Amino acid sequence: MKTEHADVIIVGAGIVGNAAAYYLTKAGMRCIVLEEEMIGHGGSSRNGGGVRQSGRDPREFALAAYAVKNIWPTLSEELGVDVEYRQNGYLVFGYNEEQDKSISVRIETAASFGVHMEMKRGADLKEICPYVSDHVVCAGWTPSDGVSNPMRTTLGYYIRARELGARFITGEKAIKINKIKGAARQVVTARGNVYEGDKIIVAAGYHGKFLLETVGIVVPMQKKLNEMIVTEPAPRLFEYMVGGMSGFYGQQTKHGSLIFGCPSGREYTFHELKNPVSTSVTASFICESLGIDLPILKQLKVVRAWSGWVDISLDGVPVIGAVEEVPGLLVAIASTGHGYGPGPAVGYTLAQLAMDQPSPVDITKLHFDRFDYGKKQPRYQSASSGGALLR
Amino acid sequence: MVCKAEGARLVKRYDLIVIGAGPAGLSAAIEAAKCGMKVGVFDENARPGGQLFKQIHKFFGSKEHKAKIRGFQIGNELLEEAKELLVDVHLNTVVMGIYEPLRITVNEGDRISSYAADNIVIATGASENMVPYDGWTLPGVIGAGAAQTLMNLHGVLPGKRVLMVGSGNVGLVVSFQLLQAGCQVVAVIDAAPRIGGYGVHAAKVARTGVPFYLSHTIVRAEGDGKVEKVIIAQVDERWNVVPGTEKELEVDTICMAVGLSPMSQLARLAGCWMEDKGGLVPCCDEFGQTSVEGVFAAGDVAGIEEASSAMIGGRIAALGAARRSGFLTDAEVKEKYDHYAQSLDKLRRGMFSHENKGRTDLVQTDEGYPLSMSLLKKGYLDAEEVSQYPGVGTEKRIGIHPVIECTQNIPCNPCQDACHFGCIQVGDEITALPQVVLDSRCTNCGLCVASCSGQAIFLVDETSEPGFATITIPYEFLPLPQSGEKGMALDRSGKPICDAEVVRVKTSPAFDHTALLTMRVPQEMSGQARFFRRRDVVQ
Amino acid sequence: MAEYMDRSKDIGPYVPQADDDRIVCRCEEITKGEIRQAVHMGLWTMTEVKRMLRCGMGLCQGQTCTKNIKRIIATELGVALGQLEEPSVRPPVRPVEVGVFGNEVESL
Repeated sequence: MKTEHADVIIVGAGIVGNAAAYYLTKAGMRCIVLEEEMIGHGGSSRNGGGVRQSGRDPREFALAAYAVKNIWPTLSEELGVDVEYRQNGYLVFGYNEEQDKSISVRIETAASFGVHMEMKRGADLKEICPYVSDHVVCAGWTPSDGVSNPMRTTLGYYIRARELGARFITGEKAIKINKIKGAARQVVTARGNVYEGDKIIVAAGYHGKFLLETVGIVVPMQKKLNEMIVTEPAPRLFEYMVGGMSGFYGQQTKHGSLIFGCPSGREYTFHELKNPVSTSVTASFICESLGIDLPILKQLKVVRAWSGWVDISLDGVPVIGAVEEVPGLLVAIASTGHGYGPGPAVGYTLAQLAMDQPSPVDITKLHFDRFDYGKKQPRYQSASSGGALLR
Repeated sequence: MVCKAEGARLVKRYDLIVIGAGPAGLSAAIEAAKCGMKVGVFDENARPGGQLFKQIHKFFGSKEHKAKIRGFQIGNELLEEAKELLVDVHLNTVVMGIYEPLRITVNEGDRISSYAADNIVIATGASENMVPYDGWTLPGVIGAGAAQTLMNLHGVLPGKRVLMVGSGNVGLVVSFQLLQAGCQVVAVIDAAPRIGGYGVHAAKVARTGVPFYLSHTIVRAEGDGKVEKVIIAQVDERWNVVPGTEKELEVDTICMAVGLSPMSQLARLAGCWMEDKGGLVPCCDEFGQTSVEGVFAAGDVAGIEEASSAMIGGRIAALGAARRSGFLTDAEVKEKYDHYAQSLDKLRRGMFSHENKGRTDLVQTDEGYPLSMSLLKKGYLDAEEVSQYPGVGTEKRIGIHPVIECTQNIPCNPCQDACHFGCIQVGDEITALPQVVLDSRCTNCGLCVASCSGQAIFLVDETSEPGFATITIPYEFLPLPQSGEKGMALDRSGKPICDAEVVRVKTSPAFDHTALLTMRVPQEMSGQARFFRRRDVVQ
Repeated sequence: MAEYMDRSKDIGPYVPQADDDRIVCRCEEITKGEIRQAVHMGLWTMTEVKRMLRCGMGLCQGQTCTKNIKRIIATELGVALGQLEEPSVRPPVRPVEVGVFGNEVESL
């Protein structure tokens, strides 16, 4: 057992933790990042890589927009790692009249944020995506959305932060936060080691829930299992993110392989397990959906399926920001499947807060105690994977 | 990783699902079906049998291990038996995943489907290792097993001039088969200082003139879009290339026989605890049951051995499944298990047993005979040392008699059974060296020669004609030479030593495609002439 | 929980080697040098290296190259082979077309 000191102790080496460590060390702060598994073990490496402003909840829009405007375009250069960011649009399929309407609502919401999104049908749609089947009747098209490579981004932040002097310790599970004189100061690990700092950032996904409880903070959330498939590399088909109102989403990576996911209805069956599993059903379900919407993909070989946990908040948007009740404690959890694209901005925001600087955007509606009124929450119907608890 | 079954639509439920229709899988299926279990076997190949159908050589072991029977015939026998027992054999069916609890998803044709069972035996075998060197991705670099598949299953020659890398049994057996198919084996090399496989396998390759380079590695393969030559060099004890020892060989094919890795992905998907035994294998109990109840492993996927022990491993796993599902009583299981365990134990003895694997410090046999260093380093016995072994002897013999150049403790005894006149004795320990009994009566029937899977038995007669001797050798090359044909006798190293005339070429169903070629050589060559080269063959 | 690793431990500088250009993962054409450099960037697990470079993630899913990649990483880190984790296996264990994978039947 030993005690180690730094300015900031970060729990979780995902995209948020790594980005926070990068921005902090870049600003001259000393950081220690603690990770139970390995770098990017959680949802940061297990997602479709979408970087979008469209389809966002109003409460989280500012973070997504900040990332798209200020961070993503130059991130590869900044990190010295190609994060494969391509701002070539996002095409979301609708299959019936009802979804046509939902997409129209999204277009209006996007417009209210100043994001251009338009409806594509018939020849217009085929011009953007010649591969769609007749099953797709319309599509929402957002030219300013894009894709990137989640694994390279998450590892890229780590590589640069480590190079700048951030200390990363993997295989070190944080189990408790200790308060000293009323403020969060120490993180205790399963191995009995103690890490002490002026600020503590918890960016540990679902595990963050239990860590916060050790200082009496409750965030109502649960986890669900998302699965994806990856194919062999194919000739270039599309450079934009593809999604469907059925919930399916994916992209053709720079490498040429296609990665796609789609909920099959089994997302909430396995929450008792620690490691994300592959099920006998979902990969097949994803392939079936893909084959229906984009028949050209049917001949591609799937080389692998994989899965990961999504930590879901009660109301469908993340919990991000300072926990004022416990001075020194900062948090970014319950990403609800929206965490990757805004991730760099979330990391940057937490770094700013940890240095007692103002947040670059308004995050007050993502506050941890918004659930804590004893009143019924407004029923929020998230456009994408969030809000499932309420359905 | 564990994979979960979640409401998949089920096609059928079996008492036992066997994944892999190789020797282990088919044996497991047969044994389980005999116990009354409803068995489904799944294999991704078009024909069952796994590697058995390309094993055209005779197997080692004893009668109970199907010794002296060729691998593909064993495959046919197993298939017949499985059919009679109404085992469902799903061919061209890829098991894509294994899901808790005891379910599999398979791809059959253009669709996928799910099956469930109360027990699963994973018998998926192994795949070939590769070592990277400069040029290793050039076309022409292939696995030795792949070469065997090309030749023996598809009738396609892998190349004309072949370098074999690796002197384990796979490398040696495939080298011989390449020769049989008409390829030129330019050399067999191995980074180890000793030949890893059976000496008898090496000897039958060496006597055709193939050189062995031990303590040698590939430096690089070169060629314009395909392998055209290879540079090999000697290595020191630390596996570093010794400068100045490079040799250039002109070859168009490099066969890699550098070990096998268990294909244990399905066991890992099932969530089995794994251990590293030169490749990840599931931790198993004495019945092959893994840490996941109801999931068994048998054959190479449970630890690389050979087909004979894989077949027994499969049967034992089936017993475990039968016991688990109440198809056999504990007493019945015990009786059968003891029998199979004993049989397995016999195969696992001797200097090639698992615990002796990779040892380079053995200097003598179990009986105390010195090991031939020439055999271990060059692939053949020196003429001077042959007589010290009990199958040869120093005594001058009158009349025809077997000479058995078997000098290592290999689990094998068909020679003893082959001779009805008691000329050959191995004893109960099947790894013991065979002895030629002095005052016994050899009738020149030749059954011992044909029965020896290592082709190490010769019939020698030094007294039938003054000045000449006849040597009868096992001969498995086509076309067969004719009586009266003149050629050269080669010694154990493959060096031509004298003229030889074919006296007789005997074939018989009892010899199972091993011809017995009797050649007449000058008497003083009787102790050295061990192979016949036809005149028109340029090596 | 994974093996404890302090990623600030000094593993020495990346020194180019003569065989750095040699392909180790055939499916994805990843060289020994790329793998060695990844280790020196701080990627100290099989999984991290594979996520960055895709080695072992091609059609054969690492059946051929995993052993060789492991050896390179272990050598670079100066640790025993057993200290590195085995990258996870996922279905399907053989590549299968999207159209086939999505075509599940109830009965035959």
